[in-house]
Amino acid sequence: MQNKNIRNFSIIAHIDHGKSTIADRLIEYTGTIAQRDMEAQILDSMELERERGITIKAQTVRIDYQGKDGQLYHLNLIDTPGHVDFTYEVSRSLAACEGALLVVDAAQGVEAQTLANVYMALEHDLEIIPVINKIDLPSAEPERVKQEIEDVIGLDTSNAVLASAKTGVGIEEILDAIVEYIPAPEAEDEKPLKALIFDSYFDSYKGVIAHIRIMQGRIKKGMRLKMMATGKVFEVTDVGCFKPQPVDLGELGAGEVGFVAGSLKDVRDVRVGDTITTAEHPAAEPLPGYRGVTPMVYCGLYPVDSADYDNLKDALEKLQLNDAALVFEPETSVALGFGYRCGFLGLLHMDVIQERLEREYHLKLITTAPSVIYRVHKTDGEMILVDNPAALPPQTEIQFMEEPYVKATVIVPNDYVGAVMEISQEKRGEFKTMDYLDTNRVMITYHIPLNEIIYDYFDRLKSATRGYASLDYELADYQESKLVKVDILLNGDPVDALSTIVHRDRAAMRGRQLAAKLKEIIPQQMFEIPIQAAIGSKIIARENVRAHRKDVLAKCYGGDITRKRKLLEKQKEGKKRMKAVGKVEVPQEAFMAILQID
Amino acid sequence: MGWGIYVHIPFCRRKCFYCDFPSYAGREDAMERYAHALCCEIEIAAQGITCPPPWGREIIADGGGGRTLLPSGRGKASTVYVGGGTPTALPQPLLTGILHTLKEKMPIREDAEWTVEVNPGTVDRAYLEGLFSCGVTRLSFGVQSFSDTLLRRIGRIHTAQQAREALRLARDAGFRNLSLDLIYGLPGQTLRDLRESVAEAAALGAEHISIYGLQLEEGTVFARQQEQGRLELPDEELADAMYGYITEELPRLGYLRYEISNFAKPGYESRHNLGYWQDVPYLGLGAAAHSYWQGERRANPAALDAYMEAVESGTRPAALEEPATREIRMEEFCFLALRTAKGIEKEAFREKFGCTMKSIYQDGIARMKEKGLLAEENGYLHLTALGMKYGNWVFGEFLL
Repeated sequence: MQNKNIRNFSIIAHIDHGKSTIADRLIEYTGTIAQRDMEAQILDSMELERERGITIKAQTVRIDYQGKDGQLYHLNLIDTPGHVDFTYEVSRSLAACEGALLVVDAAQGVEAQTLANVYMALEHDLEIIPVINKIDLPSAEPERVKQEIEDVIGLDTSNAVLASAKTGVGIEEILDAIVEYIPAPEAEDEKPLKALIFDSYFDSYKGVIAHIRIMQGRIKKGMRLKMMATGKVFEVTDVGCFKPQPVDLGELGAGEVGFVAGSLKDVRDVRVGDTITTAEHPAAEPLPGYRGVTPMVYCGLYPVDSADYDNLKDALEKLQLNDAALVFEPETSVALGFGYRCGFLGLLHMDVIQERLEREYHLKLITTAPSVIYRVHKTDGEMILVDNPAALPPQTEIQFMEEPYVKATVIVPNDYVGAVMEISQEKRGEFKTMDYLDTNRVMITYHIPLNEIIYDYFDRLKSATRGYASLDYELADYQESKLVKVDILLNGDPVDALSTIVHRDRAAMRGRQLAAKLKEIIPQQMFEIPIQAAIGSKIIARENVRAHRKDVLAKCYGGDITRKRKLLEKQKEGKKRMKAVGKVEVPQEAFMAILQID
Repeated sequence: MGWGIYVHIPFCRRKCFYCDFPSYAGREDAMERYAHALCCEIEIAAQGITCPPPWGREIIADGGGGRTLLPSGRGKASTVYVGGGTPTALPQPLLTGILHTLKEKMPIREDAEWTVEVNPGTVDRAYLEGLFSCGVTRLSFGVQSFSDTLLRRIGRIHTAQQAREALRLARDAGFRNLSLDLIYGLPGQTLRDLRESVAEAAALGAEHISIYGLQLEEGTVFARQQEQGRLELPDEELADAMYGYITEELPRLGYLRYEISNFAKPGYESRHNLGYWQDVPYLGLGAAAHSYWQGERRANPAALDAYMEAVESGTRPAALEEPATREIRMEEFCFLALRTAKGIEKEAFREKFGCTMKSIYQDGIARMKEKGLLAEENGYLHLTALGMKYGNWVFGEFLL
């Protein structure tokens, strides 16, 4: 295939604007997958991805398309993760392309996440083709949305395609626009090899399979290649393209997108953003933009049944095979016993991992509330990083603390500006900018502690704006904050896994709210359970769970034992998720109570 | 040991507000057909159990980690229990017809305990005399309370006076073993109401008293009233005081607590109900009746018409509830026996399952003892007084 007949592109869209459905239609229209094998949203192959309607892992597919000029084109679609947690992964996928489809819902218009990704695509000099999707909706306003794209993003929309992935309208036009407007990759087969890794996954037969875009040079089967950042050297056993299953072609040339596999066992050797070159004649410089993985959010994961500790370890290791961004190390809690401290790219990433552990590995887990990473400057001049409130040194040893701040971008209809400001203010946000995107929609940016975002910021925004708010954020900097640790005591004993770090000014309120929430969550037991919140030795709140008077099934009708058994089983099911902390049985959700405070 | 027969009569004049048992009000039209179907089922079942042995403890289930000895009916039935619903909602000839059929078709011991549940609002002297002459030895009266206000509030069809009268008539008819049911924790009930009811039950000379805490069940009038906020139940403290009163007062009056909800003068324990807790087999006959036979639990269709159609087509309609595994048998053996004051006979467990209780339940037993809910005496593991209050928690520990 000559380079002039190759097109590499991504699809950029906000959640629910139809990215995966458009991708499916393109695949279907071109016969890349036979109709009978079509499953809705082919590219979101993980069960969880389909359920949540989001893309977590990038997926790649080569679409063969006969253009209007009668020539055959290879269109390489790189489907990017659609969530703020995976911004870096998106940037690497975009770096592998020459163009992008910008999919915007004809009824919703431009959203915060769309903007962030469009700006990123523009930074990479991508040719952007606007696709106004869902034009079949009665509430569709394609002209308004086009205008908005011109006004807000400054994109020319004269080549925009009006489409409905649902009905199939505009699919052929999209394919033609890709051929016509997106530039072919440059052909530099003869230069030293530079291939960009934009994703990877673990295959139990072939080992780690890297998704790559060859920027220059060629890869052939049998070559010895080298990862420029990790230094890992391997021999190529398979190289080819995705259709969407990997197809071994024996070689790939400059400008092409596909995969390479070899003697790679550890996904951590295959870093997203790294450059692959040849071991014998390596390129002088790697491709720009490589960055190590930095988790933003940490939480403790503990097996409900301590006998599952090793199973949890095995499961985490298996997940890590496919997810270089997941980090974990053993941790011990007085209350919860042995578990793991795990680091995640963000809250969604955390949720997904927890859910997969429970669903795919059948583990019953207790999750502690998420924490950001604090910089703690001690009085002895040492600076330590703390990602677990329980590990915070005593107040007397702390000179000052810093916490991570993010730049949060919120887009809402202007009726809700007040609500957004109120919530952001309450979350210690510092107002930065406000811009009108059009007569109705406003983009507001705040400088706000990540610690506040990971609580209920987005949920509160959503409910205060009837779901209209869209949010994007990126790490900005660390700033000094007056932070204190609030401890929780159950039955007089501190429970380390319930400690939380909060701003001093709201510590008293948080303590009261947390104690009240725990009172709701902890079931009545044989004795009264005092719940106290404390800062240091000072008690700031107290609640009581009253003693349960009695609990026994009184009657038995005509020897119906099954019914009794069912009641007992139901009760036992509830108990399974309880952890005995001292004498108190504490349900799993208690450890996440801090997230449920309004 | 023998075995038991339970017969279900799913008719009531009116559905009580708390009741979710399988029974139908306003189906007088179906009574005759039902009685006929029931007699057919008795006949079919009787043919089934007159099959040759092995009966008794020699039935062995293998698998699931070991051999299990299963109880089976050996010889003749030693208890018969006709419950409901309201058995006495049937016209007397229909009920005595059923009793006669049982006697004629089923192998039943001469000295068997024959209990019939009675609603005081449905019987007169002749009805009770009829039951006595059929060989019924024990009556269980659904009295619930001796307060007319409360009786109306919970949808009973009789008055306190009718209850007193029914008990007197039963004595006159010759019955020497009378039981009555009371409920505590009723809407609007005071501790004083309860005291009066308990005192009156004792004064009437009942040999046996069952006393249940009200439970709200789905689909009942009370559940609906609760949803609408029209049900004022005693608060937890009052309900607790009532429980405390019952468990202290009844033994003082000579009624020993031999099971969580049952109190009797010595020698007047309900043999049939004890059977449920002591791994004794029973045959359930009639709509919605449950059986425990040769180690399997079965249930008849609960719907009246489905039951009658099944029987009329010549089959025994009992469907297997769930295949009993060795684990399920262990669990049930334990949590059922724990309902009795005597508790679990550890040696019986070992004999039945071929392993000690300790080897299966060591941790749970230790936990429950530590909490003061379980105790051990003379080879029996039993609930403490506190354990009786939190019975469900202890039972839960015995689920594997």
